[in-house]
Parts: sequence; C-alpha cells; structure tokens
Amino acid sequence: MSQTFHIPGQPITAYVQRIEIKKLREGSNLILGFSIGGGIDQDPGQNPFSEDKTDKGIYVTRVTPGGPAEDAGLIMGDKIMQVNGWDMTMVTHDQARKKLTKKSEDVVRLLVTRKSLEDAVRKSM
Amino acid sequence: MPMDRMADMEEKLRILEDLNMIYIRQIALSLKDSDIQKKIDHEIRMRDGACKLLAACSQRDQALEASKSLLTCNTRIMAYMSELQRMKEAQVMQRVARRSSDAGPMDDRHPCKAKVAISDLRIPLMWKDTEYFKNKGELHRCAVFCLLQLGGQSFDTDMVMVDRTLTDICFENTIVFEEVSPGFELRVELYSSSWEDGGSAGSTPRKLASKLSSSLGRSAGKRMRAAMEPGGNSPTSHGGGTTLLLPVPSVPGPKYHLLAHTTLTLTHVQDSFRTHDLSITANEECSFWLPLYGSVCCRLAAQPHCMTQQMMSGQLRVKLGGDPQGWTDIYGVLKGTKLFCYHKQDDKEASVDPAVTIGINKETRIRAAEKDPHSKAQSICISNQYGGEEVTHTLSTDSREDTQRWMEAFWQQFYDMSQWKQCCDDLMKIDLPSPRKPALISPKQGSLYHEMVIDTSDDISTVTDILTRRMHDSDLRSRLEQATPTPVWLSLFEEDCSPPTTPIPSHYQKPPVPRPCSSPRSPARASPRCGGRLSSLASLTSESDSPCSTSPCSRHGWTPEPPAAPPSFRPRTLSLDAKLSSLRVRGYSAGLQCACQTPAAVTSGSPHRAPALAGLSCSSTSSTSSSSSEGSGGPDSDLPFSRPGAAGRSARNLRSKLDPRNWLQSQV
Repeated sequence: MSQTFHIPGQPITAYVQRIEIKKLREGSNLILGFSIGGGIDQDPGQNPFSEDKTDKGIYVTRVTPGGPAEDAGLIMGDKIMQVNGWDMTMVTHDQARKKLTKKSEDVVRLLVTRKSLEDAVRKSM
Repeated sequence: MPMDRMADMEEKLRILEDLNMIYIRQIALSLKDSDIQKKIDHEIRMRDGACKLLAACSQRDQALEASKSLLTCNTRIMAYMSELQRMKEAQVMQRVARRSSDAGPMDDRHPCKAKVAISDLRIPLMWKDTEYFKNKGELHRCAVFCLLQLGGQSFDTDMVMVDRTLTDICFENTIVFEEVSPGFELRVELYSSSWEDGGSAGSTPRKLASKLSSSLGRSAGKRMRAAMEPGGNSPTSHGGGTTLLLPVPSVPGPKYHLLAHTTLTLTHVQDSFRTHDLSITANEECSFWLPLYGSVCCRLAAQPHCMTQQMMSGQLRVKLGGDPQGWTDIYGVLKGTKLFCYHKQDDKEASVDPAVTIGINKETRIRAAEKDPHSKAQSICISNQYGGEEVTHTLSTDSREDTQRWMEAFWQQFYDMSQWKQCCDDLMKIDLPSPRKPALISPKQGSLYHEMVIDTSDDISTVTDILTRRMHDSDLRSRLEQATPTPVWLSLFEEDCSPPTTPIPSHYQKPPVPRPCSSPRSPARASPRCGGRLSSLASLTSESDSPCSTSPCSRHGWTPEPPAAPPSFRPRTLSLDAKLSSLRVRGYSAGLQCACQTPAAVTSGSPHRAPALAGLSCSSTSSTSSSSSEGSGGPDSDLPFSRPGAAGRSARNLRSKLDPRNWLQSQV
C-alpha cells in the first residue's frame, strides 16, 4: 500500500510487522517505554514521520533506549495500526494512549507499519 | 454648548459612582466582612491608579498595559460586588429560615476543596493565505490577553502582541486558584485591542483621518474609520457587562474588547494538554478581530486537598491479612489514596517508609466488623482487590469514638473521591512558575514563517546559497554519500551557484536521468493539466520525504514545455516557505530539488495555484490541510529509495519538530 494518499472510508492494506511488548512494572506503573503522537483530534501536519500529511494515525515518536519497546523491536517513526486487536488508525490521541496503558494487560501486541518494511517487501517480490 | 453638557454628564457620573461606592461599603460593613471590604477598597485604588496612568502615558504599550490592569480591576470589583450581594442574600435567607423553623437538611457533607491550576494556554490562529501575502508593509497587530475567572478570583495573563506572522497565541503564565469546590466554573475570556485603535486615532484631525482611511486598504480603512468615529468608544467597553452599578470613567486610550470565551469545569480537568472549543463573540468587521481557529489548548489540573493533605491520623491497631492472632500497634495517616501505617509517629516526620500501606480508592470496601468480645470497640475491615485476590486488613482502635472518627474520615474520603472524580486517580502536578525576567522571551515570537527569510534578491542563487550553507551545517552531505551513490543531480548545486540569467528548465536538461522512471503516470499526468510543472511539483510536495528519484520522472514531464516567462520570482511564496521549512525535517536530498524547482513553478505564475502546493505548510490552518490532500494525489513512489534512517536525520531538527506545544505526544 502506498501511504501517500488515502481516501477516508476506503479500506487500508498495509504490510505490517507484529511486535509484542511485555510491559515493565515500575512500582505501581506498567510502562512500555515509548511515546506516541497523532490521533484524529490532533493536527496531522505536525507529524514529522508521516508521508501523507493528512494521516491522522498514531506514530511512535520516541523509543526509550533499553526499554521494553526497544527490546521488542519498535522503531521511532513506526505507525501503529492495531493494539491487541483494537484499531489505531481512527482513534483520538487519548483513546490510543488508553488502549496501550490498560492496567489489566501485561502484554501488548502491536501491528506496526513502516516505510522501510514496505520497500523491503516490494524489493523482494 | 455640547462641551458643557459633556462636563455635566461626567460630573453626574462621578457622583453616581461615589454613591455606588458608599452603597457597596455599606453592604460590606453590614455583613461584618472586613475581608471583602478591604479587597474592594484595594481594587478601587488600583483602578484609580490605572485610570490616571492611562491618561498620563504616551507610549503605546504602556497604555495597553494600563488598560489591561483597568479591565482586570473592573472585573474583580464586579466579582466582589456580586459575592457581597450573594452573602447578603444568604444572610437574609438564613434569618428567614430560622424564623420559619424550617431547617434544611443538617449534616450536609461537603466535599473538600482543591487547588486548580491552568497553564500553557495556546490559541491557534487561522490566517488566510491571501491576508498573509498581500501587503508586506503594514502589519495589522493586536494586543491580546486572557482573563481567567473562577468564583470570586480573577487573574489576567501577560499581554501578547499578535500579528499575522504568529501561528498561535501562547500564554506562558500558570494561574493557580485556591480553595475551589468541585462544581467550579472557570471562565476563560480572550480580550484583544487593535494596535491602530485607541487614543492616538481619536485625536487625529478629521482631514488627515479621512486621508489615512482612504489610502489604506479597504478593510483596514473601514476599521480605522469605525475606530475614529466619535462615540464609537462606548463607556461599557472597558469591562464586561458593567451597567450603572459601576459607571466607568471614559478615559481616552486603547480599549480591549471581548473576542472569545469558554467555560471549563471539572470534566475538563486532566493531567495533560487538552483542546477545548472557544465561542467567538466578534466578527470580521471589528478592528480587534483575529482569525481564531476556534479552539484553545491548555492544561487544567486540580489537586484536591484529600490528595495533598493528610485527612486523618491517629494510633491504630492493625491485624494484617494473613495473621490471625497478632495485632500490631501503628500510627496511621490517611492521605490521598492510601492509608500509611508507620511504626511510630516519629517515623512519619523522619520519612521512614511505612510498615504497611493500605490503598483507599474507589474499589476499596470498608465496613465495621462485628463487635469483638474481647475489646469494647468495633473494628474496621478494609478490603481491596489486588489482581483478582481480595486482601483484607482489620483495624481497631482504643475507643468507640476513635472508631467512629476513623469511619467518618473514610466516608469523607470516599465522598471527596466521588466528587472530584478523575482528580483522585493520581496526584496531578502543579508547577508554580519561578519568577523570571520577561526579557528572556525574544521580542519576535518565533514563527515558522520567519525561519526562512530570504530578503536579498530572491533568486535561485540565494536559495542555493542558503541550502548549501545548511547542508554544511548539518553534515548531511557525508551521510548522503554513505547512504546512496551520489546522484547526478547533486552536481547541479556544485556547479551552478550563480545562474541568474539562464532560464531554469535548461538546467535540468543537462544531467542524464540515472534511473528509469518506472511509474508511467507522472509524465502522462503532466500534459493534461496546464502548467504541467505544477502537477509534477505537486507530486514532489507529497513525496519530498522519499524518493528524490521521482524528480527525474517529473523532469521528463518538464522538458517538453518551454519556459513561460523569464525567471522573476515572487518573494516568499507559500510554496517556497512550505518547501524550505520542510527542508528542516526531511532528508535534504529530496528537499534540495524541491527548492530548486519551486521558483520556476512560481514563474509560470498564477498566484492562485500557490495554495494548492502548500501541502507541507506547517501551520495549523485548515485551508492548507485540505489542499494538501489535493496536492498529494500523486503517484505512489515505486522506486525504492532507502532514505537515511532515524539515525541519519538531523536530531536537532527532529527535536524541534517534536515540540509538544505543536504536536501532542504521550509517553506510555
């Protein structure tokens, strides 16, 4: 899929990678070790990682070195498509944050997509 | 004759004012509330001072500051007066109630108070690009500030000068309200005053005024004329909704007008930044108008006292979960969502860790247990769910009264938590700003549009000079050479540093295209649209991040078309800004070409096309974001180009792009 131009309402197809992050318990908090940006309530033009400047998806803006996200293979600039089965392409920033920080879940399974992934797949075809 | 009448009226107003002051003071005295009386007196003195200052000062910004203080003082006086009236009413109602022996419900539980702080107010603006570009000389400026009212307290933020180079109005102040109840309403009002408005305009002689208004642009002239009309400055414009109760002395000078307002309540309180809607109460014809996007972002935090102060403490005996027989003597402190049990009272002072910490939150269940036959007092059982298991702690005190008091404290805690809802989940941090000199803030508020100012003759040589300078700064060239074999087009910049006369398209005929363009669409697309340059440029705007090699494709589309006009560039076009500001973030490889080809696009020149290319404008304007979808309807980039990964990007630029004030980020 090319992410340069998406018509809202049309289905998205993407090459995704599964990333399973085990949350780290720090006191009473469970942390994942990354930061997210984006959301349907945010300004998509401010996103430095997205190709399509109207893309209001959730992107990884920072990965804490040595944290659980880095160990699992998450990279800054990844776009998160799903979290434990919940869609992340049409959510507000706060909804995304909540889906990632549920206290009852120890593990989050993400589906992420990144440009280099797409290119690699296409090259190999 | 009219002058006498004016003086007469003024005197009457002054008398009325004095009478009102006496009336207010009487009420305050009768309520025996010296506190409010002192406050009112203080505000009245401040108000007089501000009026005098306003009349005396000559500097524009001094006058604006004085006018702002005047407005704040008026608002505070109004607030105190309404508070006084409420108290008076309450007193009267109480007396009536007592007389009729119809006592209301006793034993009302009151929720605890809190400290509420609002900070980092940011109001995005939405300038039309036509307004931005049309007149270079005149800069329509407004002075704005925010007035925040909660209960009887009013605070104003610092004044900010706004002109069309700003994308947002940012107020740096943190404002803290004390002793707030959960049903609070925080009213945020944005006042603005036009720079041209005010006393100086009023004193302009008629002939000069008409000349000025006719020589300015149409809308600006309309505003000036409205401002200079006699009687245009109504006496009520100095404070919101003042009537005869507090007639305002008509003082010459700049006046602030209400531009927008909103009300925030407990539901808007959160530990992070949130966006709220603004109700705009002015229209475009007003001189003090600013194009607001319609929302305000801020951080509204609340610290209820139940979370910050200890609500109850005393000696307790606790039976821990697994131990059937043993009672341990501890000193218990109920604070926030926890009951801390220390071995000794001194431990708490010494900050020794408590022996046991029992959580008291919304899921906790507390009940008084059956009477223990061995002791006189009842014991209290606290049950919590820890991950599926239920853990029960039993507390016991020495006497029945103590047990009752602890139960009461627990009930109060639960009630507070139910009233303050999300504020009791976690303690929200409130940072009190350290006093710092305002001179730290740079006079020109950094706007994205200012970052790439090209003030010399805006030709391609200047652009390339700037670009090559930037390239050296960020050390990208070496990275580029590592990442990809030096593309042929890069030689453009090394050879042609000053090509003022040669027409642009001929540049691009020189280098042979290294990679075959596998996307057939772009040259085909170039022809149907007139200004094929623009369409190929549009494909660039969407993909400046990725393949620089789309440009060879689009150059194919270019070459058949002869240059339309000699290269005369319109300085600082939106597309140029968009490209150049995008340079700071994207790989420079792609960006270099964008900038190179942009001036050429401008030559073909219909200015109304420029907005269509504004795909990468970084402001939060809705017009540009809609046109970005139009502009990025380009072909997908089939050409694999591994752009330098995250490590290759200039970290400095990325950090500035990830400024949370522009784009919200959350850590998980």
